[in-house]
Amino acid sequence: MEKDIVKENSCKTIIFNALLKKNPMLASGMVIAPVIMTVDSLPRALTLAAAFSLITFFTLLISSFVPKSIVYTVRIIMYAIIGAMVYVPASIALEYFIPEQIERMGIFFPLLIINSFIIFRSESIFFLESKGKMMLDIFFCIVGYDAAVLLYGIIREIIGSGTAWETITGMPVIFSVFAEPFGGFLLLGIMAALLRVALLTIKKVKK
Amino acid sequence: MEIVKNIILAAFTSVIIENTIFSRALGTSTLILVAKSRKNLFGFGMSVTYITAVVSVITYFIKDFFSLDGEAYIYVPLVYILILGLVYILTLLCLWRFAPPLFLKIRKYVHISAFNCAVLGAMFIISKYCVTFTDYLVNGIGIGLGFVLAVYMTAVVYDKIYSEKAPYAFRGYPLLMIYLGILGMAFWGFSGHMINY
Repeated sequence: MEKDIVKENSCKTIIFNALLKKNPMLASGMVIAPVIMTVDSLPRALTLAAAFSLITFFTLLISSFVPKSIVYTVRIIMYAIIGAMVYVPASIALEYFIPEQIERMGIFFPLLIINSFIIFRSESIFFLESKGKMMLDIFFCIVGYDAAVLLYGIIREIIGSGTAWETITGMPVIFSVFAEPFGGFLLLGIMAALLRVALLTIKKVKK
Repeated sequence: MEIVKNIILAAFTSVIIENTIFSRALGTSTLILVAKSRKNLFGFGMSVTYITAVVSVITYFIKDFFSLDGEAYIYVPLVYILILGLVYILTLLCLWRFAPPLFLKIRKYVHISAFNCAVLGAMFIISKYCVTFTDYLVNGIGIGLGFVLAVYMTAVVYDKIYSEKAPYAFRGYPLLMIYLGILGMAFWGFSGHMINY
């Protein structure tokens, strides 16, 4: 019974951390280059979310079977090679379903093979956990990242281009600077600050 | 004279105008990590520049066999990773054999300086936009130096960004993004923009 409570708490903590408290994009600053450079609308946010989820999940899953007895220097190369191999079927699949959107991602699509989840977080967090917990953690971290990317995409599209799903919304004012890379940094900073305020409010309400 | 002018122009473009962080956001996650530790910034910067320069030169020699516009484009990332891995291992082996003190000093962060978006991104950008050997080499070094410049510019304000004087909501990561955005805006100005009047 006690074990179940601990298990449930631990699961809740993992989910809460992955989605909000330690959100990979809005709190930890992971994999932000493709977000800033490619996500300026909701369709493009969906493309990045799909590409990131496919490559990261399968690369981490396969990489978790790499024996720890292999020296770290070689292990890190193996993770990157696995990422590059997962990229091949992921690229074929995504180009079949969303060819135009994938092409518009440019070099940021293949760059996902060495994202921070695979190179940094795998060894420092994911692979230190039990297999079940690791899968849960990876899954919710990806969900947390995807949710943040979609939110970022829709906000940037509305305020930067005055459209929603590439349809004109009739916004009275459009801040086109947010469509530029530096605007992407600014918006990310503001959203990260808002998340912190939201977390603080949740904490106060709980108390 | 023309060659020198082109080299200076290419170097200025890759370090300032098309800075890897401020104009393309490549390697931002690595920048956050490195600026945070602030140890061996010089060593880290030199190893990034060395790796981007070496891999750029190798990319030049294989560009006819593997290009992003060719039929085998989906295997290009795999080839680039193999090149990166080879350079990484050979460099570590050489240092271990000929300069053990340096090997011990850099082995903690050399993997971060090799496997990051700035280095892999440099390979993609260079193979897409460069033509001559000099272009590849100068841009390779320039992208590395541009990344180092961004890391230094972040490291100098790191204490202020994480200071308790900063409002809690913005302290740390949010402020760092806003700082990079403002710097990005300033660097964007270098590419020249006209105001209609």
